Amino acid sequence: MVVTQVPIGRVTRCSTRGFVGAVRLPEPDIPAFGGFCVVETQHGQARVIGLIYDLSIEDDELARQMASAGDLSREQLADAQTNRQVPLEFSALTVGFAREGTYHYTLPPQPPLTLAEVYPLDVNEVHSFTERFDFLPLIFGADRLPVDDLLAAALKQASLTYPEKQRLPYLVQAGRECARFMAADLNRLENLIRSLQT
Amino acid sequence: MTDASDLDSYFGERQGETPLGTVVGGSLSAGLRVKLDPHLSIERLAVGRYVVIQGQSRRTFFGIITDILLDAANPDLPRRPPDPSDSFSAEVYRGSVAYGAMQVTPMLVLDEGAQEPRPIKTIPAHFSRVHEATAADVERVFGREDQSHFFIGSPLDMELVQVNLDLGRFVARSSGVFGKSGTGKSFITRTILAGIVKSGLASSLVFDMHNDYGWAVKGEGQHQYKGLRQLFPDGRVNVVTLDEETSRARGSKIDRILKIGYEQIEPEDVEMLAGLMGLSDIQTGALYYLRRRLGPAWIAKLLEEEQAGEELQELVLSGRILPGTLDAIQRKFESFFRRMGFLVPGKGDEAVDDIFNRLNLGTSIVLEFGRYGNTLAAYVLVANYLTRRIHARYVDRMNRHAGGQADEPRPLMIVIEEAHKFLDPQIAGHTIFGNIARELRKYNVTLLIVDQRPSGIDDEVMSQIGTRVTCLLDNEADIRAVFSGVSGAGALREVLARLDTRQQALIMGHAVPMPVVVRTRDYDQSFYSAIGVVDGEERKARAKRGAETLFGD
Repeated sequence: MVVTQVPIGRVTRCSTRGFVGAVRLPEPDIPAFGGFCVVETQHGQARVIGLIYDLSIEDDELARQMASAGDLSREQLADAQTNRQVPLEFSALTVGFAREGTYHYTLPPQPPLTLAEVYPLDVNEVHSFTERFDFLPLIFGADRLPVDDLLAAALKQASLTYPEKQRLPYLVQAGRECARFMAADLNRLENLIRSLQT
Repeated sequence: MTDASDLDSYFGERQGETPLGTVVGGSLSAGLRVKLDPHLSIERLAVGRYVVIQGQSRRTFFGIITDILLDAANPDLPRRPPDPSDSFSAEVYRGSVAYGAMQVTPMLVLDEGAQEPRPIKTIPAHFSRVHEATAADVERVFGREDQSHFFIGSPLDMELVQVNLDLGRFVARSSGVFGKSGTGKSFITRTILAGIVKSGLASSLVFDMHNDYGWAVKGEGQHQYKGLRQLFPDGRVNVVTLDEETSRARGSKIDRILKIGYEQIEPEDVEMLAGLMGLSDIQTGALYYLRRRLGPAWIAKLLEEEQAGEELQELVLSGRILPGTLDAIQRKFESFFRRMGFLVPGKGDEAVDDIFNRLNLGTSIVLEFGRYGNTLAAYVLVANYLTRRIHARYVDRMNRHAGGQADEPRPLMIVIEEAHKFLDPQIAGHTIFGNIARELRKYNVTLLIVDQRPSGIDDEVMSQIGTRVTCLLDNEADIRAVFSGVSGAGALREVLARLDTRQQALIMGHAVPMPVVVRTRDYDQSFYSAIGVVDGEERKARAKRGAETLFGD
């Protein structure tokens, strides 16, 4: 793998269905909800592709004390938000893996190892990976996740890899693919379609 | 995941074609349900078009689109469609939750490596891909034009493809041409008859009620079209007329004038006119008695052409016939027989034998009714009179042929218009036309019935009709009648009800491998040339070449 991007964090716990990573990054580079990321597994023979579905910042005693202290100065806020080593945790759902230049839209044979570096999936790869909608079943099959919001965010991100004129047709096609899974629940489908348009 | 290209490399790809959809359900009897490809616009489809289905076992199925419908994966969707202003939602729904579907009736199957398709006995598996049939597919089904296969028209939207009627099979059983008035029945019939004459497979006897077949036919806009006699000026078609005056006025070339002597008419000939003449059952029954008592000149005596006053008086006095019955018969005969100029006193001539001989020599006969065509009773009388006698000769000839004493008579197709008047359920059981329709080709005589009210024809007769050429019909009873006795043809009802009013027909039955909607070929100069008519400059050039061959430069 030729890595040219800055890692967004390291894996802290994982399974074949997903992984959790921790990161300490300045705000503009924090991974976003619905973003695609990638991490090596099997000693670099495969790369697990994940979709970030949750971001959380754990609290600690100092943070709780500062929050209850009342007015904070600008310096105190900047110190707490930028300088303190408070890990930001992100959770990613596995939506496929790449091996020998081919994407597989199933769970990987093995999860990544602890502390493996997690990278954002670059634009070209997002485009290639999402050309087919075969990653959707893994999202629809995920339990207790904000599936509909995740879908909308991921698909909109994928559409941005297309020239402007092709974005809408891509979203229409994506909407149709989702509709196959959501045909029985028109309320959910309507919400998703609305989210895709906004 | 297996790619379509992998399957194509195994099954063989249909080059350059977009699939219409996928088989998702159905049955052999009810037809196949095909879910349309989301990329396909449903508005591109039309009932009556052909499709080809690649089966899983490398068989190719041919079918016809019989219905097109809109469906939804969620039954609630029709109750809560997307906002009309939200085109994005509509686009997403269209092709996914809301989709197009079509009903396909499978007709034929082509096994791998086979050349000839055969009738279907199974259906393609789930998810078989459905393509629009190509010209090559349709040609493979309908074969090429040859001596016995006659180009009748082209499938819709396939102008360059020929649908060829198997004339051998067409004349082997009784056939029908049906359609509302003004839908082109006569043109199609004339086209088919031209094909039959050209092929020489059978002779035809056409009872031409409205002078549509013999000579110079007027179409819409006063355009004149050639009649059969003009298409075959070499004697293969003769025109016989009942009304010399009208035929001459029309410039028709006449080969014979038909006169029927009173003494040639039997009660059976008049019986079919009972309804038209207003004869009661008692009066009809009395005809047989009068014929027996009065002898061959019975009609002349009833019309008092001959002295028969005493004879008639005796009949009344004997009590075998009531004076009122006799009076009524005389009155009705008087008003009918006197008006028919082709009915003449005396024994008449040997017209029936002459016509039989001509037919047996391979000459087709168009019997023009002239002004009598407007009198249904005249048409029924003459058609019944001739058909009964010619059929009797065919029966006799066939029986002698079976005994090795005569040649087999040439197949004959009798063409009758307003057929429901002859084949009404009340009378079809005991008329010659009902017999002919039922006995198939036992005696080498079949019918071609041309009618606008097929519902008026006896069901049993309809079920014996081998090939049905049907133009637009919109009466429910007529549509039902056309499909009676045709297995699995119910699905074609929608196709029939949506034909254009001109030059379109649904052909199904014995003479075509599968039902087909055709735009019938143009009846114009190109048709004349195809039949072999030589006109104008070409005729002059031929004459010149002939003269040069005979006499030198």
